[in-house]
Formats: sequence, structure tokens, C-alpha cells
Amino acid sequence: MATATVLRTESPDRWKYLNNILTRSGPYSDEVFVPGDGPKEFLAGTKILVIGAGGLGCEILKNLALSGFKDIHVIDMDTIDISNLNRQFLFREADVGKSKAEVAAAFVMKRVRGVNITPFNCAIQDKDDDYYRQFKIVVCGLDSVEARRWISSTLVDLVDPEDPESVIPLIDGGTEGFKGQARVMIPTFSCCYECTLDMLTPRAAVPLCTLASIPRQPAHCIEWASVIQWPKEKGDLKMDTDDPEHISWLYTQALARAKEFNIPGVTYAMTQGVVKNIIPAIASTNAIIAASCCNEALKLATTAAPYLDNYMMYTGDESIYTYTFQHEKKPECPVCGNLPQKLEINPELTLEELMEKLQERPETTLRKPSLRAGGKTLYFQSPPQLEEQTRPNLKKKVKELMGDGDELTVSDPGMPFVLRFVLSFT
Amino acid sequence: MSVPGAPTAKEKKYDRQLRLWGAGGQQALETAHILLINATAAGTETLKNLVLPGVGQFTIVDHAVVTDEDLGTNFFLDDSCIGLSRAQKTCELLCELNPDVKGNFINDNIENIIKSTPEKLKEYTIVLATGDITTSTLLDLDKILYPLDIPFFHLRCVGFSFTCRVAVSEHAIVETHPASTIDLRLLNPFPELLALAEEKASTMDDKDKMSTHDHGHIPYVLILLRVLEDWKSSHDGKVPSNYSEKNEFKSLLRSKMWNADEENFEEAIAAVLPYFNPPSIPSATKAVFEDEKCKSLTSSSTNFWIIARAVKDFAEGKNGGLLPLPGALPDMKAESKDYIQLQNVYKSKARADLAEVVTIVKSLLKELGKKEDAIREEEVETFCKHAGYIKLIRGRSLKDEYESSPNAKKISNEISDPASLVHYYLGLRAYEAFISDKSNSKRVAPGVEDSTVESDSEKLNKHVVELLDKLSITHSSDLLEATSKAIGEIVRVGGGELHNISSLAGGIVSQEIIKVITKQYITMNNTIVFDGITSRTEVFEL
Repeated sequence: MATATVLRTESPDRWKYLNNILTRSGPYSDEVFVPGDGPKEFLAGTKILVIGAGGLGCEILKNLALSGFKDIHVIDMDTIDISNLNRQFLFREADVGKSKAEVAAAFVMKRVRGVNITPFNCAIQDKDDDYYRQFKIVVCGLDSVEARRWISSTLVDLVDPEDPESVIPLIDGGTEGFKGQARVMIPTFSCCYECTLDMLTPRAAVPLCTLASIPRQPAHCIEWASVIQWPKEKGDLKMDTDDPEHISWLYTQALARAKEFNIPGVTYAMTQGVVKNIIPAIASTNAIIAASCCNEALKLATTAAPYLDNYMMYTGDESIYTYTFQHEKKPECPVCGNLPQKLEINPELTLEELMEKLQERPETTLRKPSLRAGGKTLYFQSPPQLEEQTRPNLKKKVKELMGDGDELTVSDPGMPFVLRFVLSFT
Repeated sequence: MSVPGAPTAKEKKYDRQLRLWGAGGQQALETAHILLINATAAGTETLKNLVLPGVGQFTIVDHAVVTDEDLGTNFFLDDSCIGLSRAQKTCELLCELNPDVKGNFINDNIENIIKSTPEKLKEYTIVLATGDITTSTLLDLDKILYPLDIPFFHLRCVGFSFTCRVAVSEHAIVETHPASTIDLRLLNPFPELLALAEEKASTMDDKDKMSTHDHGHIPYVLILLRVLEDWKSSHDGKVPSNYSEKNEFKSLLRSKMWNADEENFEEAIAAVLPYFNPPSIPSATKAVFEDEKCKSLTSSSTNFWIIARAVKDFAEGKNGGLLPLPGALPDMKAESKDYIQLQNVYKSKARADLAEVVTIVKSLLKELGKKEDAIREEEVETFCKHAGYIKLIRGRSLKDEYESSPNAKKISNEISDPASLVHYYLGLRAYEAFISDKSNSKRVAPGVEDSTVESDSEKLNKHVVELLDKLSITHSSDLLEATSKAIGEIVRVGGGELHNISSLAGGIVSQEIIKVITKQYITMNNTIVFDGITSRTEVFEL
């Protein structure tokens, strides 16, 4: 700090109430909890990672700093946007355009004395296993399914059965409008993020023919503008949904199409909502979910009270309702389970058609899948020589390449793990 | 470059919340004035979540000076604030969050304000009391605010738990945000809808008169109406009513498909169970219609009651028990023009129903000696669209709960369940009794010193017994084991707040305050209890 303020020595009163729960046992405290200086020192020495410095992340950083954590890292690759300011309370109008992780870390360090926050303005995938291994707990406040899957499977992979220290609990929060959820995942012991992927409701895709020829809804006109008109009119120019000129262009196109078909209701805000897949977000819900996550982090780090096992759903739009339950581990989970999933398949399909079917499955976010079965390489996307060699297989029928009951493995650059299937011919 | 429809700077900033409560909700928020009593961590966090979305004004009443303990729990204070007015300092740091919001502070005790200038409390839209406030002060506030219809929240946050009580005499919600307002009127179609079905679907069984393409694009609503006519003619004019008849009807639909991949027929089959229901007025709407305030309007009736009465008269008049049509239509496989035509049929009917209701509203206003245009048509329209989803909450005052008619039955039902959060409610009531005790004039919290933990816990247990005796609730030490454990947790923290729990409370309470101010979404009624050990909430009507 540049200013020459004389720092007062920290009064023992500052953490009085937090200390009370660490130096006194409660009726629900775990048997292993030994009240006293132990939990206090452990808490201060616990290195904790926060992923995301957005709506949840700002709250999480504040909460951890006021929960006695002293060594916090935060990763976020985003920059601050004007639409963040209605909830991301560590940012001001003058911060628009700056790194979220850096501004958030600096703000909390200035406000709460004695906490050290190390920001990283990068993608989580930029960090290696050794980086993640240094943390005792990871708390996620993300809006991306892909990033959650990545960190969850990375932490599962770090587990060494011989070394209990290698198990890093993952606490994950998410919100939408007045609803949200907080959960605790203990890699390999409780369910992982991948185990619960079927709880997501997939976004219903509108058939291309509806967009192309029989639009009925304003959203159809907007999707037509972005999916069909943009590549047609703009060629190779990449669409940037944060660029107001791009949104304006799409809006104008969608509006013209809506007019042609007498469809009411296309607005600029709706255009933005559809192309950016905007999820409504408010400060209140972020506060609830982030606080729940950090309450669990504090309990995990100190054992002062039992932690959540393992899922809390919050609904605030119709009275207040929480549902707390244990989500079970999935034995056939591709990340933390060891059983391959069953895949029913028509043996008359070509390999190419099989790949299309796999891409439709909810748990796969395949972009460029590579396939192996029965010890043979069926199709590899790279290197180019291998792609060329295996390309003829795409036109072959499934029954020519593999047998009923064979194990099929699918890998993809979009997934940090391999999917395993046992084939069952229909 | 300026584009028509492009958002203003304010719309950009508030984009993510406008998608929830719209311009109307935002307007209500921006004209609201919140009073916070005591700048505790939970109270300050609640305000933070209201300042960010742009509440009009807030005022903090607090006589405390900032201490080190505050810094350990309240993010809106820092080292430089120690020894200064807590009301002022939290107000200043909260104001940094949003230049659109006006913050005020009063460096005084709420007790003094109640005594000297109680009429000033009328200025506020909502009052939120937090911190170690005594029962008698709470009841004093209740006595002033409840008759004024000013929603009064009381939040008590100690250690891992909190309770929040809202006292509001009446809260009427029109925009409850149901998942959908779709009413297809399949079992009681209006003439224009039947005529369209006849026009578009009467030849659906004739391959000479309809092309395969057209057959695969008949909107499913029209398929259902058409096939229903066939069914009725072979079933004494009756519609499929039970599960097996509905299944039979589905088979009939399937038999009319020309090939296996006709999506519109699949949609028709899927719509049988959800949409083949005889029309009825939902119980929540009925309760509004049957309310005395609806039956006998007066010159002081609010818009809600006048419109409700008009909708009631509309439904009970020549409309045979049907509410005004909301007019929404789900997407379905169809040619663009056919879909739009069908949509317009529903919309026209909704507009016609609205026009009738508006006429009734005008005549009611006239009868009440008001101007005919005293209620805007948009307000009537919103009501008509939500007529089947409105909700009236009749609250209870704190006086009801504490003195005149405590809900002893609810407490006594819950008490035998060790997992019920009523034990935390009782524990926190005992906490309140402890700090309200006349012999404890300094409001020293239970468990402040390690040495008093045990004796203070005993005192709290005694307060619970006194409360239950007063309510004539039978109890035993077995029944009170869970209460005793809750008390153990409450005393453990020594009367202070844990930031996470305060922040969580601030999130929940601000959601409730937003719901009350915007009159959107359904508010909880009337006490929420949270336990941070099991991460659960429960709502009790007390």
C-alpha cells in the first residue's frame, strides 16, 4: 500500500464470534473437532481457490475473507461489463473493461485487513495439476457447465487413493433468477459434477427447417438472423455477442423477418437474451448461494459443524423452499465411476451416424470425437495422417467395425476424460 | 450509431434483473424507501442487495459506534471507521455501490424515535429491524406499522441460525410469475376457435382433399378440437373425462396419423393429459372473490379489489364460470401463417374479454363515485392475464403472534419432530427473552463469556419452558432435547453474527423485500427459520 497509514494491531475482538465457534464445541460438532487454537490455525493456513469472480465470485471472496481464510486465489478470465454492476458489488463504473479477478482481489484486500488474495486473469485450463494440488478446498461460482465439468474431473483425477491429502473438496454454486443450488463434492467419495449432469434441462433446439421456412415465434426470427443470415451475409466475420453493433445488426434482421411473417414481439433485449443465452441474475440470490457455499467451506476447513452432504436447492419465487438431499454417486459415471455405460445401437448404422447419435446425448458435449473399440482405432481426429487413415471407416457399418458387447471409448478435446460404453446391438 | 429499441444506459445496467421483474417492478423498487434499524452485518447485507438493484432510498437508524467486532462481520466498514457512527459509516460505504440510490442515516436509538417522532415512521415503504432489539420495542413498532399497512420485517441472526418474521396485514399479488398462463379452452371452445378448426382441419381424414405436407402442419390445437367433435358425436356429446378415456382418445389421435413422424400429432397426443381439464376457478382466485373486501367495495377500495370484483362479476355473469382468457399460445408445429392466425383468434378473444372487464371496472368506479378512468387499462389487462394465478396473503401482526392469538397448535405439532426447525424458532425466541429481560438492561447476550455458557443455556431453556407454558403446550425434556441443542448452538457463538449466515440472511430477506415492493412473485408467510448446520429452511405461519 502506498499510503502511509499506521496500521493498528489487530484486536482480538475482531474475530470474537468466529473464534467462539472454533474454541467452543457445539451440540452438533463432529467427534474429531477439538476446540481451541487448532482449528483457528488450520483455518488461517488453509489455501483456498475461488473459481469465478462474477456475481457469485465477488460474494465468495468477501465471505471467505470474513470467515478467517487468509490465503485465497481467484481465477477469472472475464472483464467487467456494465451489466455486471447490478450485483457484482466489488466493481464500479470506472472498472468496466478491467479484469474481474484483479479488481475483486484488490478491493477485498483493501477492505479486509490481513487477507491475501492472488488473482489470475486466465482460463482454468491454463493451470496444471501441480497448481491445483496446492489447495485444500476449491469453491466455484461459475455460469458455465463446461468449466464445472473440467474442474470436477480434474479434481477427481488428482485423487491418489494412498494419499488422503490429495482429496480436494469442491464446493459449487449456481443461480438463476430467484433460484439456486449449493453443493459439496468430495472427489471419489461423493458424487462428482458429472454424476449429476442429467439434472440439467437441455435447451430445446429449434429444428433448422422451422428457422429457415416456418418461423412462428420471435425467438425463431432471432435465431434465423444469427444461425442462417449472419454466416450468409457476413461470411467469415466471427459474431461477437458482446459487440452492440453485432447485436443491432441481428436485431434489425430479426425484426424484418418478423414483419414479413407478421410475428409480434421481437425486441432488442430479447435478441440479446436469445443470442447470448442470458440467464437472469440478481444480487440477492447470489448472496444466498455464495454464503451457503462459504458456510460449507468454513465447516469443512474447521470441522466446527458437519458439512452439507451434499446438495441444497433453493427456490425463492414461490414463498421460500429449500430441498436438502444426498445426491448419489453414479456407478457408471464416466469421471468418477468405473463401470462403462450401456449404449443401445443399431448395428446397421454407419460409424458417422453413430457419431451423430453420440453428439445428441445429454452428457456429451462432443465437438470432435475420436473413437476406439475392441483395441482398434476406429476414427481419430488428429494427427492429420491418422485422420486420413481412419476416415474411410466413417462410411462403414457399425457391425463391420465392432461386435455386440464390445467396449467403445470416446475422447474429445471438449472433455477432460474418456467416455466408456458397452455396445448392445438392437 | 443509434438503433431503435437499443437499451438505455439504465436498462443496460439493470438488464439481468429487468428480465425478472420488468419496468413495472423496477419503477416500484426505485420509489421505495427502506428503513433499517441497526446496521448489523445481516441488516447491512440486506441493504447491499437492495442498493445494487436500485432501491430509491434507504435510511439507517443506529446509535452504536463501530467496534472491532463489527469489522469481523460487516464488510461495509473498515479500520478507519472504528469509534465512529455505525449508521453513518455503513451508509457511506453502501452508497458507493450505486450512485442512483440515496442513503440517509439517523444516529439515534429506535426507542427514542418511537417515543419522540413516531409519525416519521409513516415515510417508509418497508421497515426492517435487526440486532439485539427487545420484545417491547418490536411490539411498539408493530403497533405503529401494522395498521398503516407498512410491511415490517424482523430479522434475528445469531451464529448458525436466523429467523425472519414479516408482519403485513394484506398483500395482494397479481404477477405471481406462474410457469405458464396457457388456457387453450379445448373443452369449452369459443365460436371463433371452433370455426377455425372447422376451416383448417375438417378434411384431415381425406387424402384427396389434403396434401401430406398440410396434414403434417395442422396446428395440434385444431386437430384436438376436430377429433373431439368426432368423439363427442359417438359418446353422447361427452368429452373424455377419466384416465382410460383419455388414453382411448390418444389412440384415436394416433389412428389418424398418415405417417409415423407427424410431429403435430405427437404434440396433440402429449397435450391430452395436461390440457383436457374441465374449466374451474382455482382456489386462490376463489378466495379473493369470496373475500368481504371483494364483495363489498367502498370508496377506499384499492385497484386490486375493484378489478378483482369486476373479474368476479365477469366470470359469474354470462361467462359461465370462466375467467377472462389470458390469450397465450404455446409454440407448435405449424405453418407460420396458420400459427399466427390461431394466435390471433386467442388474442382477439382475450381482448374481447378484457374489454368486458374494463366496462365493468368503469361502472364500478362510477358507482363508487370515482373517475371512470381512475384505473389504467394496462393494470386491468395484467390482472386478466393472471386471473387464475393471483394470490392474496392475509398476514398476522406480531401482537397476534406474541399476545392475542399465538399459533400454539402449529408449534405443538412441530415440537415432536426433532428435525423441525421450530426448535431454532423457540431457541431464538428464548434469546430474545434473555436480552429483553429487565434485569439485563445492557442487553448482554447469552454466552458472551466462556464461563457463562452453561448458566446462560439453562436460562434460555427456562425461557422456552415459560413460553410453552404460556401457550399451554405440553412438553417434556424428551420433546425439548432438540430445542436444547438449538440453544446450545445459539449460546455457543456468544450472541454475535457469523458473516456467512448474515450474508445468507441478507440474501433471503432482500428477496422477500423485493417481492413485497414489486408485488411480484409469492412472498413467504410469515416466519422463515434457517439452520446453517443442516443448510435447511422452513416457513411457519405464526
